[in-house]
Order: sequence, then C-alpha cells, then structure tokens
Amino acid sequence: MAPTVLRYLLLFLAMVLPLQANAVLKIEITGGSEAALPIAIVPFGVEGYAPPEDISDIISNDLASSGRFAPLEKRDLISQPHQGEQVNFQDWRLLRSEGLLIGKVSSQDGENYQVQFQLFDVYKAEQLVGKRYNVPASGLRSLAHQIADIVYETLTGEKGVFSTRLAFVTEMKNADGSKRYALQVSDADGGNPRTVLQSTQPIMSPNWAPDGERLAYVTFENAKAEVYVQELSSGRRNSVASFRGLNSAPAWSPDGKRLALTLSKNGNPEIYILELASGNLSRVTHNSGAIDTEAVWMPNGREILFTSDRGGRPQIYRVDADGGRAERVTFEGGYNASADISPDGKTMAMVHAVNGKFHIAIQDLQTGAVQVLTDTTADESPSFAPNGRMILYATEQKGRGVLAAVSVDGRIKQRLGESGSAVREPAWSPFRR
Amino acid sequence: MKKAFVENFLAGSYSLLLHLILVVLLVVGLESTSTPELASNPNVEIVQATVLDENLIEQEMAKLEQREQKEREAEQERQQKLEEQLEKTQEELARQEREYLDMQERAELDKQQREKEAQAEQERIKELAKQREQEEQKRLEAEKQRQLEEQRRQEAEAERKRIEEQKRQAEQERQRIEQEKQKAEAERQRIEEEKRKAAAERQRIEEEKRKAEAERQRIEEEKRKAEAERKRLEEEKRKAEEEAKRRAEEERKRAEAEAKRKAEEEAKRKAAEEAKLREQLLQDQLAAEAEEMNRKRVAGVLNIYAQQIQSRVKRYWSKPINARSGMTVTLEVKLIPGGDVKSVKVIKSSGDPVFDRSAENAVYKAAPMPMPSDPDATQKIISEGIEFEFKPE
Repeated sequence: MAPTVLRYLLLFLAMVLPLQANAVLKIEITGGSEAALPIAIVPFGVEGYAPPEDISDIISNDLASSGRFAPLEKRDLISQPHQGEQVNFQDWRLLRSEGLLIGKVSSQDGENYQVQFQLFDVYKAEQLVGKRYNVPASGLRSLAHQIADIVYETLTGEKGVFSTRLAFVTEMKNADGSKRYALQVSDADGGNPRTVLQSTQPIMSPNWAPDGERLAYVTFENAKAEVYVQELSSGRRNSVASFRGLNSAPAWSPDGKRLALTLSKNGNPEIYILELASGNLSRVTHNSGAIDTEAVWMPNGREILFTSDRGGRPQIYRVDADGGRAERVTFEGGYNASADISPDGKTMAMVHAVNGKFHIAIQDLQTGAVQVLTDTTADESPSFAPNGRMILYATEQKGRGVLAAVSVDGRIKQRLGESGSAVREPAWSPFRR
Repeated sequence: MKKAFVENFLAGSYSLLLHLILVVLLVVGLESTSTPELASNPNVEIVQATVLDENLIEQEMAKLEQREQKEREAEQERQQKLEEQLEKTQEELARQEREYLDMQERAELDKQQREKEAQAEQERIKELAKQREQEEQKRLEAEKQRQLEEQRRQEAEAERKRIEEQKRQAEQERQRIEQEKQKAEAERQRIEEEKRKAAAERQRIEEEKRKAEAERQRIEEEKRKAEAERKRLEEEKRKAEEEAKRRAEEERKRAEAEAKRKAEEEAKRKAAEEAKLREQLLQDQLAAEAEEMNRKRVAGVLNIYAQQIQSRVKRYWSKPINARSGMTVTLEVKLIPGGDVKSVKVIKSSGDPVFDRSAENAVYKAAPMPMPSDPDATQKIISEGIEFEFKPE
C-alpha cells in the first residue's frame, strides 16, 4: 500500500512542481520615446510685490526651448500648489508629468525678492530638488534661467544651457539711410539683449573666449578689418590684430591663450595663430592660390578646422595648429563653410548649400555622414550650445536676419529673440565659470 | 620307519667299511715284509796340502816324517784291520748272498704260498663277508629281537613302575583324602560353627533386616503417603493449571477473536482510508491536470498580456537624451487589481539615476495597466508582479 501512496504522491508532486517553478512575467522595453518629457510647472505663487518677471514662465520657456520638455498647458494644471504640503501627487500622476515644479516669489519692497522652488517626482511623491534665493529685481530673470538649468540637469542628467548667453551683431538702418551696427549679448533664449559695442562701421565675427567673459570680434571702425578683444564685464577692449590687409575670423583656442586668425598681410588670406600674451604670430596655412579662413579649434587644442576654396569651391579642411598639410573634411555638396565643432569634438556643424540654398548641416567627423538640420534657406554662422544639444545660427525671415536654433537631431527648431533689427553672426557662449 | 631304515643302512655301511680296512691292512703287511733294506756308500778321505818355510818345512818335514811314519805304521795296522775286516765283510757278503738266494727262493715260495693263501684268504673273506653278512643279519635280527625284547621289557618295567606309581599315588591319594577328610571334618565343624555363627548373624541381620524392612516400609509408607500427597497436590496443581490453561485458552481465543475483529475493522478502516486517499489523489491529480491546463491557459493569456503591457510602457517611456546603449535597468513592479501601480522597485540599477527614473516613470505613466480578462492570469500578475527590463536599444 505504501508504494502505491508514494507513487501517487510522486505523480502529484511531479504535476505540481512545474507550477511553482514558473517565473515572474518578464517584459523587456527597448527603444522608448524620444518625445519631450511632460512636466508640470505651476505658476509660482506671489507674495507681496509682484515681480517684474514671470519666473515660472521663463523656466517653462527655457525647458520647452530645449526640446527635451513639454510643459503642461496652464489650463491643464489641476491645482496650483506653491508649497510641498499642498501637493496631491495623485493629481499629477494622472497628468503623467515627469516632474512637478512649484515655487513662490515674495517681496516686501519690490526691490528685493525671495524666490523658492521645489521639484517633485510625482510618482514617488518625493522632492528631487528645492532651493531658496534672495535676488534683486534685476536678477530675477537670470535666476529663472538658473532654476531652469537645475530642473533640466536634475531630470535629464545633463547640464542646461539656459544661463549661457548669445553674442550677435545687429544692423539697423537709421532714418537717414545710414546703418548702425551693434555687438549684442543676450540670454540664451535671445531675451534681455544688451549692446556691448556700437559702431557705424560693420562689426563681424564675434567669438567667445572659453572663460565666457571676453569676446573677440572684427570691426571696421578704423576703416579696415581689425580684430579686437573686449572684456564684457568692464567693456575694456583692445586691438589684437591690425596687420596690413585683412584681419578677420578670430577663434579662441580651448585654453584661451591663443587666437586663430585669418590674415592677408602676406597678400593672400591665410590662417595664423596669434599668441595673445606675447603677440607672437605663427602661420598655419600656406596656400597662395586660395582663401583660407573661418578657423575653429578642435576641443583637443591641436587641430584647426577652416574653410578654403583651394579645391575650387569652399570646403572645410583640417590642419595641425603647428602647420603642415591640411586635409579636406567635407566632400558632400559644393559648398561647405563656417564650421563649428561640438564640445565632444565628434560633430561638426556647417553651412551646407543644397541647390543654392544654404542650410545648417552637421557632419559626423568619424563616419563623414552629413545631416541637414534646417529647412530655412539663408542660414549662416552655426554655433553649438555648450552642452552640444542645440545649434544657434542666423537665418533670414522676410529678408531680415533673425536668430534661430535647431537641436542636433533636427527635431527642435525655434526662433530666438524678438529683436527689431537684423541679426547676424551669432555665437553661443560657453558655460559660465 | 624311515629313520629306522637310515639307521640300519648306516650300521651296515660301518661293518662293511670295517671289513675293508681289515683287508687293506693285511695286504700292506704282506708287502712290507718282502722289501729288502739297501746299504749306504763308503766314505773317501781327502788330503790337504800347505806351502811352508824351508826351515819350518824341514822341521815340519821331520815332524811329518815322524807323523808319517806313525801314520804309516797306523796305516799298516789299519790296513791290516781293513783287510781283516774286508775279509769278514766278504764273508759276510757271501753269507748274505746265500741268505739272499735263500730268501729269494723262499720269497718265491712265499709268493706262491701267499697267492694261494690270498686266494684262500679272499674266499675266506668272501665266506667271511657272507658269514658276516649272515651274522650281521642275525645280529640285526637278534638286535631287533633284543630291542623288541628290551622294549617289551622296558614297557613291562614302565608298566610295572606305572602301576607302582599308581599304587603309590593311590596310596598317597588315599592318605591325602584321609587327611582331607579330617581337614574337611574340621572344616565342616568350623563351617558348622561358622554356620551357626552365620545363622546367628543372619538371624541378627534378619532381625535388623526385618527392622530395616519395617523402617523401610514405614518410610515407604511415609513416602507413599508423601507421594500420594504430592500426587494429590500435583493433581490439584495440574487441575489448577488446566483450569488456568483452559481459562487462558479461553482468554486467548477471546483476545484472538477480538484482535481479528479489530484487524478486520482496521483493514476495513484502512481500505476505506486508502479508497478515500485514492479518491483524494485522483481528485488531486484531476485538480493538478486542471491546474496544468489552467496554467497553460494563463500562460497563453499572460503572453498576450505581456505584449500589451510592453507596447503601453514603451509608449510612455521617455528615454533620456543621454541614454547610451548598454545601459539596463531592471524593475520589479507590483500592481493592484485595478491595474494601478502598487510599487516599483529597482532590482538592478543602470548606474544612472536619470535613466533609472525614466524607466520607473514610464511604468507609472503607463498606469493603470490593462488587466487580463482572465481572473487567474490577473491573480498571477497581482501576486507575482511583473519584471521590466529597460534598454535604450
């Protein structure tokens, strides 16, 4: 009888065990959406004097401009908490926001403002980051960009560029028909432009020093193209290159000690390197039959990209900063000029002509693959944001130069600034130090 | 008989040999008397010469001459004696010659005589031999006779002696018997005495025996009584034992019957139990089969469900801009029956908090998850949760 029972039991166990050995349901998720992250930005509460700037609005715009975030429409906000204890997370979960930003601005005198914000993970119902500031009214806008950077970095793991600046040249026509040129610096969103230099003569090719405190540019104020370096905080400036002939296209070396320049002091525009401290000049290119210009340093500080028509049409070449033989980099299309290099040195942005239309394109320096990013037709002067995600450039809208930016994947395109003047030759500053 | 013959033959041979020896002796005696003795040869004198000194020689010569003279004289005397002797010898020889002739003559006569005598002697010997044979025969017979007689005599003598001996022995026997008779009488008397004593003794012994017998009988009686008692007791014991045995047997039978009854009951119970168990096992088996079918069904449902969940979560996953290939985060997600997320736990982090969070948020944003229509599948998901693995590509 016992063996019989045993047999039945074994049979029974043999049938039961597979059920127990069954694994948990496993699901693999690959790919995922690259769409913007939904984020709930509740308009900051105001106590006392109303601030001159809408901080939450600035933050929202900043985040939206990055293309990485999709702030919820204000009308969709279920509630408007300003402090952590007022938050009902379930509300925000239903909205499927990746984060919830709330804050408060208060001022007793309309001069000094106290600003605080909190960023929450609504699913875990926990605060991701929160800060409190005291700023003057004039600092509110800048503070808003800083908060946007914090939110951006917290949620994407990458530094935000909202506190960086843009430099560009504006051209305005006076009533008498004469032109007025200005070198301007704005916030990264194109707002808050300040003029750092004004001239009746053209100003060209502003270029940020790596410290973000100085600009090199070309001015014709002395009836010829000269290169100046100007300190933004003090406004002090001095000519660094005023050789015979053309002095143009300055580009700061990554260490900030040298400038690559285009000089025609020997008759033909060539690339030179000027050591700022000593004034020593070294020639990089030797091609008397062509124009070599628009130098840009590779992040490694040893190589220079430049535009040359030595091949008959403008193309981009690469050469050692110490000189030597230049090698051609661009082969796609009949026109490639005005190169800029991404902070990681992998991607080159350039003006790329397709059927006589000038677009911003990027080229992968490893594979050589070219991708046209813009569908505008008179694009010029591409400049990478310091995090490499966006490219600032100038284009024409209704016959007038405007600022625009495009994400490196080409998905985000936006116009920047609301300047009434024509804008040209923008340059994106490095991160603030 | 054979021995007698050998003895007779030997006796015959001896007598014959004796006769032969006697004859030989006679013959030899005759011949030696007829052989003459021979005379020995006469001696010859030898002169010896020696060379000497002249003087000596002369002296010697003189001596010699004297000696020679003496010798010649001795010689002449001796010659004379010799001649006398010769004469005597010749005379002797002649005498001897004559004697010899005589003797020859006589020898011839003797020889003839002796031949005659030898012949006569041989005849005599023959006669003698014959005679001797006869005599021998006679002697043998006489001897035989004598021996027989002697035997008879000896036998008679032996018989006489035997009879005498018998007589003597008889006498001795008689005397011995007489003595024995006396001894026997004495013995008899002694025995009588002893018998008497023995009788007395026997009587005593008898008495004692009797007493002993009485004692024995008494003891026997006692023994018997004891035996009887023992037997009685034994009987009683046996009876008691039998009774006990009987009772025990009864008890055993009763117990056996009881045990049997119990065993039967137990067997019945066990059979019932086994039947019940079998029934249970069969039901379990059926249940397990049903379970297995259900499991398969649930697995099928879950497979479809997993695809739904996958596309839904994927749609809600905002992959971070800096997500790199190779990053992986594994989440353990628990749901509540309505499909809402009860908990999300990072089992294995990618190392990048933003990436991890993006995955977690994707799950939350995908909530409420659709739930399978099958309650078993739902139950399984609720109890076991779902494991998500997020990869950029």
